[in-house]
Order: sequence, then structure tokens, then C-alpha cells
Amino acid sequence: MAEPTPVQIFRIEEKRKQYRSGSFFLKIGILALFVLVPFVFPSYKTVDLAMQIIMFATLVASFDILLGYTGILSFGHGMFFGIGAYCVAFLIGKYGMPSYLNLALGFVTAALTASALALLISFLSLRVKAIFFAMITLAIAELAIVLATGLSHFTGGEDGISLSMPGIFAVSFSIGDFMGLEITGSVLTYYFIFLSCLGLFLLMLRFTHSPLGRVLQAIRDNVQRAEALGYKTFIFQIISITFGCVVAAIIGGLYAMWVGYVNPASSLEVMAIMLNVLLMVIIGGMGTLYGGIVGAAFLLITQTFLPDLQNLAKDFFPQATLLHNVLERWLLLFGILFILVVIFFPKGVIGSVQDYISRRKTILLGKE
Amino acid sequence: MATTTFERWGRELTIAGAIVLFLLPLIGIPGKTYLTLTIAGLAMGMLLFLVASGVSIIFGLMDVINFAHGALFAWGAYVGFSIFQRLMNWVEADSVFQNFAVFLIALVAAMMVVALLGIILEKVIIRRVYGFHLFQILITFGATVVLVELIRVLWGPNDEVMIVPLTFSRNWDILDIIVYRYRVICIVIGLIVYGVIQFVLKKTKLGTIVRAGVENRDMVQAMGHNIFLLFTGVFAAGAGLAALGGLAMSIFSRQVYPDMGSTYLLFAFIVVIIGGLGSVTGSLVGALIVGLSYNYVAYLVPWAAAGVNVLIMIIILLIRPTGLFPAGK
Repeated sequence: MAEPTPVQIFRIEEKRKQYRSGSFFLKIGILALFVLVPFVFPSYKTVDLAMQIIMFATLVASFDILLGYTGILSFGHGMFFGIGAYCVAFLIGKYGMPSYLNLALGFVTAALTASALALLISFLSLRVKAIFFAMITLAIAELAIVLATGLSHFTGGEDGISLSMPGIFAVSFSIGDFMGLEITGSVLTYYFIFLSCLGLFLLMLRFTHSPLGRVLQAIRDNVQRAEALGYKTFIFQIISITFGCVVAAIIGGLYAMWVGYVNPASSLEVMAIMLNVLLMVIIGGMGTLYGGIVGAAFLLITQTFLPDLQNLAKDFFPQATLLHNVLERWLLLFGILFILVVIFFPKGVIGSVQDYISRRKTILLGKE
Repeated sequence: MATTTFERWGRELTIAGAIVLFLLPLIGIPGKTYLTLTIAGLAMGMLLFLVASGVSIIFGLMDVINFAHGALFAWGAYVGFSIFQRLMNWVEADSVFQNFAVFLIALVAAMMVVALLGIILEKVIIRRVYGFHLFQILITFGATVVLVELIRVLWGPNDEVMIVPLTFSRNWDILDIIVYRYRVICIVIGLIVYGVIQFVLKKTKLGTIVRAGVENRDMVQAMGHNIFLLFTGVFAAGAGLAALGGLAMSIFSRQVYPDMGSTYLLFAFIVVIIGGLGSVTGSLVGALIVGLSYNYVAYLVPWAAAGVNVLIMIIILLIRPTGLFPAGK
């Protein structure tokens, strides 16, 4: 048998350390935290916050597949999210009834619709330039809002669709207490969505660490080089875009399950969702997938506690109206933060920390 | 010259003409309404041209996709709105001269302020991301958020009814066809701007350098021209055009709101995709197509108006992925 190559030795070494490293325990800790949230903080506000963080972290990770791993900026990610939400809502709300079959069918429809649309948009835009993708998705996403609002007999218009959950996910469902917490339908929905998001996240990790994912990173870093190496960049980009969009649609369906209604304002509001997602991915770090968790947690927690912060400012500085105005317009602060992060920390929190750790390691190695 | 232009762009012109003609049979509407709609469509097209040409030139020369163009557009509208508020008695005066004077003052002020903003934007943030499309989109998107929020801080977050100088709100009655005066003014403004841009680009030394820059940036630099100064200047000019478009559009639609930029930026993108990024003539043709089709369809099937533009864009992308008048490169 041949000698193992340096890369193989490195991989074996990595594998051995896998279950002892700090980041492994960190991941386990975060998972445990989300599992325990309904038991430790059973109030609706905290559970909802945790749920939003989970869903947005996964959504941001799926967006990161496009942005960080393929180098393509899509303004239609909110639309795919909305498509998923509407598909599920159609199947168990407006045109069907709450049953497990319809729920599953809803997710299948969501995935199929999203992949068809993603394929169409990629074929249209990638023929020219990757930047066209941003502009065309923006236009088509706007069109989707117009359609959802305009075809009101079909989509419920501005009012949207309310939906009720089947069987064990129904609000009225309860199987009694467990460790002091009443296991209701919403608690079960929480764990269902949590597990689904975890599954999607692991799937995305697998996707980006597969040989396919490596090719995508090569394309992102240098299209010409990847082409010269013999990869059909167009096909790889389409695969990755479609994958990211389908994941977004599935998360949209999960979102509809959690919130219990969909309307254009909440599920399709491209700018609002896109703004959040972009902020999260930039703050957390592009091309890391884990960045989404940091970004989503930071942004959603800040947004939740912003009113308290405003009151605090009003109590301490009752005179400073300018400060109140600026705090009222918190998006201004986030916008400035966004620009600063793009200029000074283009790798975001996770990327910068990874850089720091690897630099420390190199220095330590040098000392040895 | 005319024949060479036709020889060069014959195919594009045919496609553009075919689209316009294709729209005509759609009109199951009476003649008078049709004329009114056409004038409205042309006016809207000219206003969209003002926005789109800036996006297009900035991309052509600087290779920068400016997502902040919509926010600059909104700033133009708001600065003009403030000037009208200050000079209320001139706005309300029943004198064509005073009305036009206040309009010109507002126009100059809006263009100056926004051009200044454009210079700051270019020097402070866009300069750092030359050559990286992805970061340009991200950073100008961030700039949009900041600029729009600043509007909300300075002018308040609510929609406002735009103040319109008295002359502009009147109309002419030609053979029972009601022609809104302001729409004609819009068409004239658009034509003047198109003329000026073409003159500057084709007949002056500066224009020659800019066009050369679109073709080959490195070569222009090698010939000893300060391309970065040129970039700043072109960006400021594009911002000024956005301000002009914003002010004119806010009078047209009679309202200002902080988020107005995003709606029209979308139109501008559709226009430049149809017309071809980097081409001024392409922007004009694309803008007229979008303006006309939007108005016709808005009359026939109101909710589908936004959709028809996207549809035309998709068709053009299928036939000619680089747009009707692709520029340089």
C-alpha cells in the first residue's frame, strides 16, 4: 500500500481531533440550548424568538450557499421563502384541509415550484453575467408580490391565508405534562421545525463539503480558472442556486406552520426579509454556513430588545431628541454597521474568528 | 449618419419597433384615451430614462452596479420638496415665469445636493470595492438603507403630497383631447437631457475620454488621464441625473415617500436590461418601451402592469441576452 499523502495525514489528524475540539462542544452547546428553550423559558416571547433564530439561521445558511459558496447575489431569496409558505398554506389551508398528507404534499409542491422557478431565473440571467442575477431576481420578486396581492381570489390578497395544523401540531392538542411543561401542539411544532431545520442544515453542510461544494468554491474564487480546469461552471452554478432556493422554500413552509398564516406583507416582503437575511449573512460571515446562526441570533435578539433600549435611552437622556430619533430609526444604525462590516470585516464574525484562530495556530507552530 | 446608425443598429431597432407595434393591437381603447395614455407613457418613459441612463453610464464606465441610485433619486425628490415648501408663494403664484423659476431653483438645488452625496458615496465607500461586483451590490445596498433612513430622520417617515407649481398642474385642451401640461414638459426635459448627454459624449473631449473609458479603462489610464477623477465626475453626474429624475417623477406622481427609490430603481434595472447596460440610446429606447407598455397595460389590466415589464424583459433576455444596444466590452 502506498504511503499516505500529506493531505490524507492531515485529514486523519483532523478526524481524530473532531470530537475533542472546542468548536465541537460549542455546537453541542448551541443545540442543547435550543432543545431546552421551551423547558427553561416557556414564555411565548422567548420560544418565538428561539424559533425565529433557528429558522432564520437556516434561511441565511441557504442564502450563503448562493452568496458565499457560489458568489451569486440573489434578491429573490425572500420570494422563494414566500413561495414555500404559500404552497403549504394552499395545501393545508385554502385548497385543502389540515392533514399530514397535505402537509407533506405542500412541502413537495414548494420544493418543485421553487426548483422550477430557480432553474428559469438561472437560465435567463447566468447566460449574460452573474450580476444580472441580482437585478433579475429583484424584478421577479417584485412581480411575485404584485401577483400575490393582485390575484386576490386565488391567494387571499392582502389578507392572506390562515391555516390550522393537522393532528399533533394543532394548537388545541395536548398530551399532558412532561417535566413541568405542558406538551401542546405548539411545543411539538417547535421540535418538528427544529429537527427539520437541523436536518436541512446538516444537508447543506454535507453539500458544501462535498466535491461539488469544492468546485463551487473554485468557481466563486475564479470563474476562468474553474472553466480552464474543465468544469462546466454554468451547470454547477445552476445546481447550487436550485439547491439553495429549494431549501429556502422548505423553510418558508416551516415558517407558515409556525406563524399559522401567510400574507404578502409577512412572507413575501422582499426588502424586509432580504434586508434581514443580508445583514445576518454579512455580520455572521459569508461562506461559513455557521455565520447564519451568529447573524440571526444577533439581529433578532437586538430587534426584540430594541424597544427596551429605546425606553432606557429616554429615561437616561430625556433631552436628546436626536438620539431618540436615531434609535427610532434603528435600521440606520444597522445600515451603517452593514457598510462598516463589508468594508472592514468582509468575512464577518465567524470568518474573522476563524482567521484569528488559524493565525494563532501558525504562530504557536512557529514557536515550537 | 442616420443611415450608418440604422445599419449598425438595424436589428435592434427592428426588435424595439416590433415590441412597440406589438403593444398597439393590445389597445382595445378609444382613440382619445389612447392618445392620453401614449403621452403619459412617453412622459413616464422619459422620466425612467433619466434614472436609467445614470445607472447605465455608471456601469458602462466604472463597471459599478449602483443599487443606491434609487435612494439618490428619492433624495432629489425630497430636496426639491423642501425648496417648494420654502418658496411657497412662488409655487402658488399665477405666473408662468415664477413657477418655472422655482422649478429651476429646486432642480439645481436637488442636483447639487445629490451630486455632492454621490461624490461622498463614491469617494468613501464605492472606491473601496472597484472590481468586485458582489461587494458593490452589497455596499450600495447598505448605502441605500442608510440614505433612506436619513430621509426618514430628516423629513419624517410618512408619505407626503408633493407640492406642484401651479402652471404644471394645468392642462391644454386640444381638439377635445386633454393634454396635461406637465407630461409634455417631462417629454421635453427627457429629450433635452438625451441631447445633452449625446452631445457631451460624442462632441466634447471629455465625452471622448468617457467613451474610451467604457471601451478600455486601462488604456485611458495609460494615456495619462486621471481615471479616478473621471469616475468621481461620472458618478456625480449620474447622481445628478437621478435627482433630476426624482424631482420630475415626484411632481409627475404627486407624492414623495422615503421608499420611492426602490420602486423606480426596479424600473431602471428593467430598462437597462432591455436597453443594454452601458448604452444611453439603449436606456432611452428601453425606457420608452417600459413607460408605454406600463401605461397601456395599467389601463387595460391594472394589476398586471408591473408584470408586463418583467415579461418584456424576459423576452428580450431570451432573444438578446445583452439587451437591445449592448455597449463596448
